[in-house]
Amino acid sequence: MNVNSVPNQQQHRAARTLRPRRWGAVVATLALSLGVLTACGGNGGGSGSDGGDKVLRLAMGSPGKAQMRVWESIADQFEKQNSGWTVEINFMDDDQYQTVGLPNLLKGRQAPDLYFEWVGDRLATRVEDGFAADLTPYLDTTFKGIWNPSLFDKAAVDGKVALIPHMADVTTVLWYNKSLFADNGLTPPATMDELIGECATFDKAGVPMIALGNKDLWPAGNFFSMIASRVVGPELYDSTMRGETSFDDPQWRAAFEQIKAIADAGCVNDSASAINDNEGAQLFFQGKAATHPIGSWLVSWAVDEAPKLDFDFVNIPAVTDGAGDQTSVMGVMTGYVINEHSTHKDQAAAFMALANSPENVDAFIGAEAVPLALSAADNPAIDDRTARLNDLLATAGTIISPPDTGYDIERADALYQAISQVLGGEATPEKAVDMLVEETS
Amino acid sequence: MKPTRSWVPYAFLLPAFAIFGFAVLVPMVLTVYYSTLEWDGYGEKKFVGVANFVELAHDSLMRASFWHVLLYIAATLVLEVAVGLLLAGLATAGRGTRLWFRTAVFTPVMLPMVVVALLWGFIYNPDFGLVNAALRGLGLDSFAHAWLGEKQTALWAICLVSGWAFAGFFMTIFAAALASLPAEVLEAARLEGASEWRLFWAVKLPMIRGSVEVAVLLCVTGGFQGFDLFYVLTNGGPYHSTEIPTTYLVREVFTNSNVGYGSAMAVVLTVIVVALGWSFGRLRARREVV
Repeated sequence: MNVNSVPNQQQHRAARTLRPRRWGAVVATLALSLGVLTACGGNGGGSGSDGGDKVLRLAMGSPGKAQMRVWESIADQFEKQNSGWTVEINFMDDDQYQTVGLPNLLKGRQAPDLYFEWVGDRLATRVEDGFAADLTPYLDTTFKGIWNPSLFDKAAVDGKVALIPHMADVTTVLWYNKSLFADNGLTPPATMDELIGECATFDKAGVPMIALGNKDLWPAGNFFSMIASRVVGPELYDSTMRGETSFDDPQWRAAFEQIKAIADAGCVNDSASAINDNEGAQLFFQGKAATHPIGSWLVSWAVDEAPKLDFDFVNIPAVTDGAGDQTSVMGVMTGYVINEHSTHKDQAAAFMALANSPENVDAFIGAEAVPLALSAADNPAIDDRTARLNDLLATAGTIISPPDTGYDIERADALYQAISQVLGGEATPEKAVDMLVEETS
Repeated sequence: MKPTRSWVPYAFLLPAFAIFGFAVLVPMVLTVYYSTLEWDGYGEKKFVGVANFVELAHDSLMRASFWHVLLYIAATLVLEVAVGLLLAGLATAGRGTRLWFRTAVFTPVMLPMVVVALLWGFIYNPDFGLVNAALRGLGLDSFAHAWLGEKQTALWAICLVSGWAFAGFFMTIFAAALASLPAEVLEAARLEGASEWRLFWAVKLPMIRGSVEVAVLLCVTGGFQGFDLFYVLTNGGPYHSTEIPTTYLVREVFTNSNVGYGSAMAVVLTVIVVALGWSFGRLRARREVV
């Protein structure tokens, strides 16, 4: 023991003398490592393009192949008109853009100078978070004469114009297969009672009345929110979605009873909760469902993917004894926001002016999309259905905002969950409302 | 050879430290920091202390998501590890069929999980999918389901896909372990009259116990990290019946912009996975000492 103790003590002493140096080296290594990291991430989280480059970046979802070709053509025109400039367009899957995609892009080092956005709570959030430039200075210069000035009022947040208007979408109407209705001797439903009555006829014919792909919850969410707004009335719908009133209201319970009545009548395809919106639309395109409740974008989509489909639309049927305006329309204005952090704001504004020139507006109309620019009015090339949709929106006495773009996303998600549970028979209307109250209170 | 200057070894460590710091340390520290905030990812950060963790403790959906992942892990222990072990036994027992058999079983492992999920999404599609088409073709219409759209079937349908994709991976681990067993031991057992099944069960399996334990650890910790299959096939639905912590976390952070709450979930999930791995390691070490 004693023999061994001497070397042990020596080792301990040596260790004690070495330890400070070793720790010093470790600390230095860590510090250097962090220094390297700091250098690497010095601009991390910054947004907007590098002031030195001549690249204009644009981000949006996927507006369909036809419209994407128009955007690419506009980019070519811009590059020709602005020597040395390049336009990069980032098309993204719609769901991804709406959720993960855009926030990631905005936080990236090559954030878009221009990006697609919906008017409503989303736009307000972009302004609040400092990602939306005030466009007011461009109204009397770059944008002068392109749009009806009143549109900018709708695109304003806290008195500042935050969005360049591009299109207005009716987000939920009832598209119907004209042949299937004619074959079964039916006409498109004008009331919810008619809709429920017709479900039985289509059920006998072996096709569901309504095709929905509700895996991501928003397709049924939007449709049944619109029906709910017919039951509770636009005012209560709006105040509840804003969080000013509670879902704990007899009117909301009646709204969920209406949803249950539609589900109980077997109106919706059994596969709704298993398939996504694309697959739901395919059922309609292939004549495997009589109707499909979705927005105005279906026209260009169907023209591309189901050119032989004979289809038209009606507004969402009225609810007998429903509250408020039964001809209201669910819709939203969309457009493009110039990133507050962009160093190319003037170029971004010029790009959007170019995109809304009469020639490019015609090109968009050729792609079955009708911009809000003044030059689009009365263009004979506009698809009849699209023109009537625009009229529907323009003349609507009441516009209903979709929950997921017009209001707080968590509240919208809670409503969509509740709707899907009633639709799938997982919850009674009473239970759905109770869940909603609990989640939103 | 000893370095002439004491700092030289640390200089060599610098790149590793930098990568470790960048990829692990800094994100971990930041995640813990974010978990104490109420923050949407862009706007003003509000310090809330442990409020996110308190809310998490009362979150019934979070508890349900952990229950679902435990069910998933239990199912995959059978469908991936046990089936992988069985396949490895078959692959190493037979002669002449080993290569094509292993290749066939291992092929799904080489496919990206998103591709696997899309492929099985088509197979399970209630309107156009192979499964229902086959059932209807056989006159079994009443057995046709919206496999991913019904609460009763969705989770198990995902487990099956996971088993299909990963059984080959575990088969490879076990096959490699079985191939390394000393031939004389196996020969001796055969001379004693052991059947192939008896040989596998009583001789081979105990001898590859270490590989089985590693496979179980990989399956359990990998189960907690599962995300892609769930995200693509059901995204947590229907009615949250396939919600697991990772899908819930991603929804909170990226859809609902609750970065603080999502970070608290990430912290809890990390602690659980690390604790499991550590406990498993301790148990193994203790058993080896005994």
